[in-house]
Amino acid sequence: MSNIYAITTRSAQYVGLSIAAFVSVFPFIWMLLGATNTSPDIIRGKISPGGALVENVMKFAAQVDLPRVMFNSLFIAGVGAILTLIVASLAGYGFEMFRSRVRERIFGVLLLMLSIPFAALMIPLFIMMANFKLINTYQAVILPTVASIFIIFYFRQATKAFPRELRDAARIDGLKEWQIFLHVYMPVMRSTYAAAMIIAFMASWNNYLWPLIVLQTNDMFTLTLAVAALNAGYTPDFGVIMVGAIVATLPTLIIFFLLQRRFVEGMLGAVK
Amino acid sequence: MAQSQLARNEQLNGWAFVMPALVLIGIFMIYPILWSLWMSFQTGRGMQLSFGGVANITRLTQDPVFLRALTNTMIFLAIQVPVMLVLALLFANALNSSSLWGRAFFRTAIFLPCVTSLVAYSVIFKSMFAGDGVINQTLLWLNIIDTPIAWLADPFWAKFVIVTAITWRWTGYNMIFYLAAMQNIDRSIYEAARIDGVPAWARFWYLTVPMLKPVILFTTVISTIGTLQLFDEPNLITLGGPSDSTLTLSMYIYNLSFKFMPNFGYAATVSYVIVILVGILSFLQFLAARDRRS
Amino acid sequence: MSSVKLRAIHKSYGSVEVIKGVDLDIRSKEFVVFVGPSGCGKSTLLRMIAGLEQITSGNLEIGGKRMNDVDPSKRGIAMVFQSYALYPHMTVRENMGFALRFAGVAKDQIARQVSDAARILALEPLLDRLPKELSGGQRQRVAIGRAIVRNPEVFLFDEPLSNLDAELRVHMRIEIARLHKELQTTIVYVTHDQVEAMTLADTIVVLRDGIIEQVGRPLDLYDDPANQFVAGFIGSPRMNFLAATIVEKSGGALTVELQNHKNCRLVLPLTGGAIGDAVIMGVRPEHFGLPGMGNADIALDVDVAEHLGSTSYVYASADGESLVIEREESRQEERSDRITVSVSAEKIYLFDSAGQRLR
Repeated sequence: MSNIYAITTRSAQYVGLSIAAFVSVFPFIWMLLGATNTSPDIIRGKISPGGALVENVMKFAAQVDLPRVMFNSLFIAGVGAILTLIVASLAGYGFEMFRSRVRERIFGVLLLMLSIPFAALMIPLFIMMANFKLINTYQAVILPTVASIFIIFYFRQATKAFPRELRDAARIDGLKEWQIFLHVYMPVMRSTYAAAMIIAFMASWNNYLWPLIVLQTNDMFTLTLAVAALNAGYTPDFGVIMVGAIVATLPTLIIFFLLQRRFVEGMLGAVK
Repeated sequence: MAQSQLARNEQLNGWAFVMPALVLIGIFMIYPILWSLWMSFQTGRGMQLSFGGVANITRLTQDPVFLRALTNTMIFLAIQVPVMLVLALLFANALNSSSLWGRAFFRTAIFLPCVTSLVAYSVIFKSMFAGDGVINQTLLWLNIIDTPIAWLADPFWAKFVIVTAITWRWTGYNMIFYLAAMQNIDRSIYEAARIDGVPAWARFWYLTVPMLKPVILFTTVISTIGTLQLFDEPNLITLGGPSDSTLTLSMYIYNLSFKFMPNFGYAATVSYVIVILVGILSFLQFLAARDRRS
Repeated sequence: MSSVKLRAIHKSYGSVEVIKGVDLDIRSKEFVVFVGPSGCGKSTLLRMIAGLEQITSGNLEIGGKRMNDVDPSKRGIAMVFQSYALYPHMTVRENMGFALRFAGVAKDQIARQVSDAARILALEPLLDRLPKELSGGQRQRVAIGRAIVRNPEVFLFDEPLSNLDAELRVHMRIEIARLHKELQTTIVYVTHDQVEAMTLADTIVVLRDGIIEQVGRPLDLYDDPANQFVAGFIGSPRMNFLAATIVEKSGGALTVELQNHKNCRLVLPLTGGAIGDAVIMGVRPEHFGLPGMGNADIALDVDVAEHLGSTSYVYASADGESLVIEREESRQEERSDRITVSVSAEKIYLFDSAGQRLR
């Protein structure tokens, strides 16, 4: 009796998971197929490879200065992530290793600030950048993202697993606090840095709203903005857009498949 | 009592480590959020602002577009978050069984959407839901519908597309949290329950779900915050249309500030609606989670 | 080598006082063991000597100099941690030379000192390995090696053996004893294991709740504990405590009657206490004799008997008061339900109701 019940449950699970897996993966296939089809074919729902790949790629290359846009994206995401990591790991270490009642309270306030919506910040930030004459610069995109409370929180959680006795040993060995951070903490926490780097990089790479506000000329556009720009207008060329979508997705996809474990670790980090 | 040298150093170091972050947060979060609060009491065009007291708040209550955006956002929240979290929980539960064949494949496949860039997946969805697009073709072929659905031109279906898109993008993300939490549950608890004759659904409902409560709370809160700020998908798939039926609060703030004649004061007021909503909803969710515990 | 002097040392965290005034003199080259149950403050005291915890009030001198505010690295101490605290990203060689690198010692000098220490501890074949490639015992030796390299005046050990299995613990205990003989340094060693304390120490310091209960040589503590706590803490299995009452007192002797063995009266050559006082009588498990061999016999119900071969432990009780009795040869008692043992007056310790020894 219970055997039949178990088999039904299991079968239902397989069916459910298969549908979910298909639905999850199909848009990727659609993206790849789309890059080979003309825009009218895509709109007509043609589910087979076409012959327009070269044409789409050529059109994409003509409309988007890929090297420039790629550089912008990589520079903004790379520099932004590195600065975020430095600032956030210092703070995470500081909050966890040097306890004081005042700092504990400040940290509590920071946690509450996690839920401040960006929408409430973007207008003052925009005016601020305008006042600093930073509109349409890399700094304008990067600076507001550097102090990420989420990544500070992540580092603090991870620092809980950093053995305090290592710091004690290093103090007895005569290291100053900044030397302990540089020579002991950073090398020991390599994998935390790697995971945090992935989240920070991805967040910046995918960021749309803030770059849309502060970046205004094509030569400063990130890949995200460039693809979004292709989408604007009444008759977007979907073949070209698919090529752009592939280019925009590829880096994160590669990071995911190369560093799958770290990737997931990074996402989970903050709740562990 | 005079502090010793050691204690003083400890204090100084503590501040030195957290200071860069605090300074940056001060400049780029605390100052703007307060400024924005100040601005919400200002009226006027562009940078020419003057104090208007509660004028903006009065305007909110009479602004049909704002009420539209607020309703839309709440509908997205009320439908999308529960659907997504329940799906994520069910997938996680199925994938947590060690005897399931192809776990790694299913897990990777369902997780894959959250690797895509928001812009890329939004435009892909836009093309799939085109009038004669692949979704309509498939549904016609399966005889589920007999005339194509005007996905992006119909207010109801446009909302449906946005909800579907967000659910597609984020279900796997939430599932990973649940899976990780499930793997931390001691397996012998389930073995004991099986020996006690507890059926599978009851093991899920009475053992797994209560033990996952902290993670469920966490994902509910972050999903709520995320959906309340929804911008990318509607802006790229439907542009808020048709006739503002997918306009969200974030889009409205963006439009007020950067698209039309800038009205920063009123936009700031709208943005504070999101702040207050996030505050209230997070608080209620924490409260609900605590109630059930005691 | 340096002496260590603690004077009226106090430590509080906020309003919680964890060390409540400790005075102690540690002579140069002495091996001192702090022992006590968890939470007694022994590790805190050690960390205050190391400079890892701030001293709330009192004076700490190492080698005659006040050290309260001196940086840990400048106190002439080295420390071996419970978790070993080896830097996981450095080889054994780098771990051992790390302190010297930051003290500005020349490279060849570091190499020489590291290889000296490695020779003493037989670590030479392991020098290029990472900590994760070492066994627990090897890590322990590296941790000690790292301490030796710094040529400290005082060695501090914080429960160094508690992460090792029983067999390795005995081995490392002997190794540490050998090192002390060879290096002739002052050692302060913290443990919760009274066997370690008994076997290693020149002097044992028994701590409880932030105060020193007794200081003395291991066997002095065993033979002559100052109070019920020390009596119970030193010796394994622990001392048995039986409720009793003083019933008679005359010229340098008092008579006590056991509460649960009314027929058992003992005359003890003690002068403290008064008639009618409730007292506690302590008898070590190994000090019970065969019936009729002592000054009085007591009969008990056997609960469990554990036969370990050379000795046996009999767990017995009377009226809810349970005792452990150690027997050299006792195979015949395997099945019996009752046991009768004798106690001798000269092997008995008497404590007043506050736990202080009556003499």
